[in-house]
Amino acid sequence: MKNNIRVERAIKNITQAELAEQVDVSRQTINSIESNKYVPSTLLALKIARIFNKPVELIFMLEESDEKIKKR
Amino acid sequence: MRTNYLFSYKSRFIGLGLILLHIPIRLFWEMAYPGLGSHHLPTGPADSALFTNEHLFNIVSTILVLTGLFLIAFSKEKIEDEQISQLRLDSLRWAIYLNYLILLGSLIFTTGIDLFDILRLNIWVPLIFFIVRFRWVIFRLNRSLKTDKHHEE
Repeated sequence: MKNNIRVERAIKNITQAELAEQVDVSRQTINSIESNKYVPSTLLALKIARIFNKPVELIFMLEESDEKIKKR
Repeated sequence: MRTNYLFSYKSRFIGLGLILLHIPIRLFWEMAYPGLGSHHLPTGPADSALFTNEHLFNIVSTILVLTGLFLIAFSKEKIEDEQISQLRLDSLRWAIYLNYLILLGSLIFTTGIDLFDILRLNIWVPLIFFIVRFRWVIFRLNRSLKTDKHHEE
């Protein structure tokens, strides 16, 4: 999974620390998510999307390696 | 939020205090009563070793250190979020792996290992390894935060 939090942060002009405070996690967690080292829970992903006023799919998206959804 | 059954952030320092407190007590005791190293467990309720000073002291000091380690291991971080929970869980899993590896190893490669030694291993290995591993990943997390910041500036 990849995300464009870094870009959205630049648009909104807030730092990692400010975003972290708004969604009630540590700065380390935001940093790990941005550098694709940690995949947030659905809850946290929704909270982050809400901060940027965008649907969650515009912030977080699947990569090719993730797309192993079984089609029935 | 979900309850996570952890001690408060401050308990870590109480735990550290307990362990530090234990060192001078232990040193004093060993000076006053040399030969503590030859301590052996009483074999049953009728054993006269059950109520010797040595045995009671050993129990009390073990409880002291164990409580300290427990508080250090299972106190909350300053910001206890979901990534920390995951790292905690990971470290706990590694600690259990290592513990069983050592237990299995001692089962296979030793003949008639003392039951007391197994108890000792089981008491200290999971807790201490958990603490070391957990602290190490948190240290690495903070370090990566610092290096990333340099890139941004």
